[in-house]
Amino acid sequence: MKRTKEPTYSQDAQKALENHVLQSSLKKLQNRFGKGVMEYWAAKDDDELRDRVKRRRMSTIENLDVVLSLLADNVQKAGGHVYFAKTGSDAVKYCLRVAQKNEVKTVVKGKSMLSAEIGVDKALEQQGVEVVETDLGEFIIQLAGDAPSHIIAPCIHLNRQQIGKLFQEKLGIDYTDDPPELTRAARGALRRKMIDADMGITGCNFACAETGKISLVSNEGNIRMATTMPRIHLALMGIERIAATMQEHQGMLQLLTRGAALQKLSTYVSFVGGPKSEGDPDGPEEFHLVLVDNGRSKILGDPEFREVLACLRCGACLNICPVYGRIGGHAYHSPYPGPIGAVVSPLLFGMNQHADLCKGESLCGACLDICPVKIDLPRMLLALRHKLAYGDAKWQARQHKPSEAFAFKLYRLIISNSMFYRLALRCARLLQKPFMGKSGMIGKMMGPGARWTNDRDLPPLAREPFNRRWKKKHSRNQKRNNEVNHG
Amino acid sequence: MDEKGVFLADIRTALGYTKEETRDMEQCPAVFADVDDSLILDRIQYRTHVEKQALLQILQDNGEQLRLEVHPVSSLDAAAETIVAIIKSTKPEFSTARQIIQHDHPDLIELGLWKRMAGEAVHVHTAYSNDSEVREKSVESFIGITVPRWAVAESATVVQITGPGRPRSTSLLPSVHIALIRLEHVLADLTEVYALLGDEPPKESFVFITGSSKTADIEAHMVHGAHGPRQTHLVVIDELMVQKTTPLKGSGIFASAEI
Repeated sequence: MKRTKEPTYSQDAQKALENHVLQSSLKKLQNRFGKGVMEYWAAKDDDELRDRVKRRRMSTIENLDVVLSLLADNVQKAGGHVYFAKTGSDAVKYCLRVAQKNEVKTVVKGKSMLSAEIGVDKALEQQGVEVVETDLGEFIIQLAGDAPSHIIAPCIHLNRQQIGKLFQEKLGIDYTDDPPELTRAARGALRRKMIDADMGITGCNFACAETGKISLVSNEGNIRMATTMPRIHLALMGIERIAATMQEHQGMLQLLTRGAALQKLSTYVSFVGGPKSEGDPDGPEEFHLVLVDNGRSKILGDPEFREVLACLRCGACLNICPVYGRIGGHAYHSPYPGPIGAVVSPLLFGMNQHADLCKGESLCGACLDICPVKIDLPRMLLALRHKLAYGDAKWQARQHKPSEAFAFKLYRLIISNSMFYRLALRCARLLQKPFMGKSGMIGKMMGPGARWTNDRDLPPLAREPFNRRWKKKHSRNQKRNNEVNHG
Repeated sequence: MDEKGVFLADIRTALGYTKEETRDMEQCPAVFADVDDSLILDRIQYRTHVEKQALLQILQDNGEQLRLEVHPVSSLDAAAETIVAIIKSTKPEFSTARQIIQHDHPDLIELGLWKRMAGEAVHVHTAYSNDSEVREKSVESFIGITVPRWAVAESATVVQITGPGRPRSTSLLPSVHIALIRLEHVLADLTEVYALLGDEPPKESFVFITGSSKTADIEAHMVHGAHGPRQTHLVVIDELMVQKTTPLKGSGIFASAEI
C-alpha cells in the first residue's frame, strides 16, 4: 500500500459527509443489515455458536503451522501447486510467473481484498494482461476507475443514475437507470469474458485443512465462473483464512453469511482445490494456492492483536459503526475499511501511515457487539492509540505527534498545581473573549485550536469557576441553615 | 530449509516455538478432533416418510423467497412432464437455438427428454465424460439439468458433487437450472450435509447452491440472474406421494415464462 500525495483521512471524511448519495446508501445499509444482525443475535436463544466458533478459530490459529502444513500437503496430493509467499510482492511475482508461463492474456477475478492488498491487478496489467473484475460491484468500480468502499457492497457510494451513465459511456448501451437492466447489461458483457479467460484469480473465504479444499462464497455466481471456466485457477489466501476441519468450517460459514447479509447461506458456496480430473469438461487444468503472510505472522506473534486474525471478513462491523456510517470506506485508504480496517490496516501496513484510523473510531463498542466471533476491536483500537502515543519498537511505531505529547505533559503540570491552574484559567478567560460570537459560544479559534471549532461551536469557560460558585452558594445555604436552626 | 520450511518456521516462532521444533497433528489433537456425528447419521437413516414429506414442505416454503421453485411429483414420468413444461415455457437468453444440457445420470437418461422434445426443435445433450464438446454445448444451452446429491430443507440448498459426467457448468452457464432429486435425499439442515460429507471419500469438487444467482450491488436492489441461472427448479420425486389429480396446475411453472 504505497501512498503518494493522497488526501488525508479528515479530508476524505469531509468529502464523504458532503456526498448525499453515499450518506443515504450508508444509512439504508446500516438500518437493514446492522440492525438486522443485532436483532438476529438478540433473538437467538443461546449464543453458543458464536462462542464455539471463536474458540475453535483461536485454537486453529494457535496451531497455524500444523494446520497450514496439512492444507498444503492435501492440495499437493490432489495435484495442485502451493506457493508460500512471505510478502505481498513475493505473491505478485508468483502470479506473474504463472501468467507468463501459461501465456495468459485475460484474467477474470473473483472479488478478493487480498488481491487489492498486494496490488496484483496493476502488476498484471503492466505486463499487458487484461484484468477483469467480475463481481458486479467491483466491475462497476473498475469501469469508473474508482476504489471499493465496502467489504461486501463495493459500490454503495454510487447511485443508479451514475451507474447508468457509466454503462452508457463504457459499455455503449442506451442509458437506463433500471437495476435489472443494468445488471443484465453487465451479465452480457462479462459472460464471454469469463468463458474465454485464460486464468481466474480469486481469494479464499476459508480453506479446510483436512480436506485440502478452499471454499468460495458468492451470490452472483461470478466466482464459480472464474474457478470453472479458465484453464488456470489461482487462489490468493491470507494464512489465517483456514479451518482445521469441516466441522469448524460449517460454523464459520454460517456465521459469515449471517453476519454479512443475514442470509442462511449465500447462493453459491464452492469447494475446490486441485486440477480437474480426466474426462471433466470443467475446472482448471492447473490449480495454484498462494498462501500469503505479508505481515500476518507478526500479528500472530503479538498476543495483544492475535485475536484479530479470527475475523471472518463478513463486514458486519461496517454495518453498525457510527464512524464508518458517516465517512464511508474511502477515508480509510485501505482495502479493509471500517472498524476491522482501523485495526488491521495499521498492523499490516504501518501504524504511523494509518495513525488516523484508530483515533477516528468512537470506541462505542458496537463493532464488538455485532461481530459474529466477538472480536474485541475497541480494546485493540486503544492498544494502537497507546502505541502511537508512546511509540513502540516492536511495531516500529514512532510517537505519532510529539507536540501532542508535549501538550499533555504541560497540561499535567498545570492541573497538578493549583496556582498554575487558576492562573491558566484566568488567562484563558481573557483570551477567549475576542472569539465569542453573538450566541455567547466560541465559534472560531485560531491555529491548532481551529479544528475544534471547524464543525461545531464550543461553550466558553464560565465567567466564574465552579469552585467559587459552589463556595458562594454553599456559604449562603449555610447562613440560611444557621438562621433556621437559630430562628 | 526449503521455502515452505522457512515460511512455517516464521509462524512457529510467532507462536512461541523454536524454529527447529517442527510440529504435526499429534501435537494438537484437539484442533482436529471431530465431534461424534453418528447420532446425526442415524437420524438421517431412520427418518420416516412422513418426516421426509415435512422436510419437503419446509424446503418448498424456504425456496420461494430465493427463486427456487420446488415441484413435488410422484414418479419419474411425472417429473419428465414437469420438466417438459418448464422447457416449453422458457425462451433462450444467449442464443436462438434451443439446446439443453443434462448430467450423465441414470434418472435423467430414464426421463428420455430427447424423445419427449423430438417435435419441439430442442436439442438435448448429455454431458458424457468422453464427449470433448460438452463445454461448447453447455455454453450454448439455455437449460441445464442436474441430479444433486442432496437437498437441504432449512436453507433451500442443493448440494452437487461435481466431476466427470456431472460438470460444474451445467448448473451455472444456462439461464435456467433444473435439479431432479428423490425424496430420500432431502435432508433437514447443513449439519446433516457436513456429517454425510465427512463420512465419504474426498471429492474433486462440490458446491452448495441456494436459490438463483443474485446481486444487490446497485442501490441494494435485488436482481436475480447476475452471472448464474435466473431461475432454479427442484423437482422432487416422492414415489409414495398420493398422486394429485392435477399435478401441474398451480405449481407455479408458468410463472417463470417471462424470464
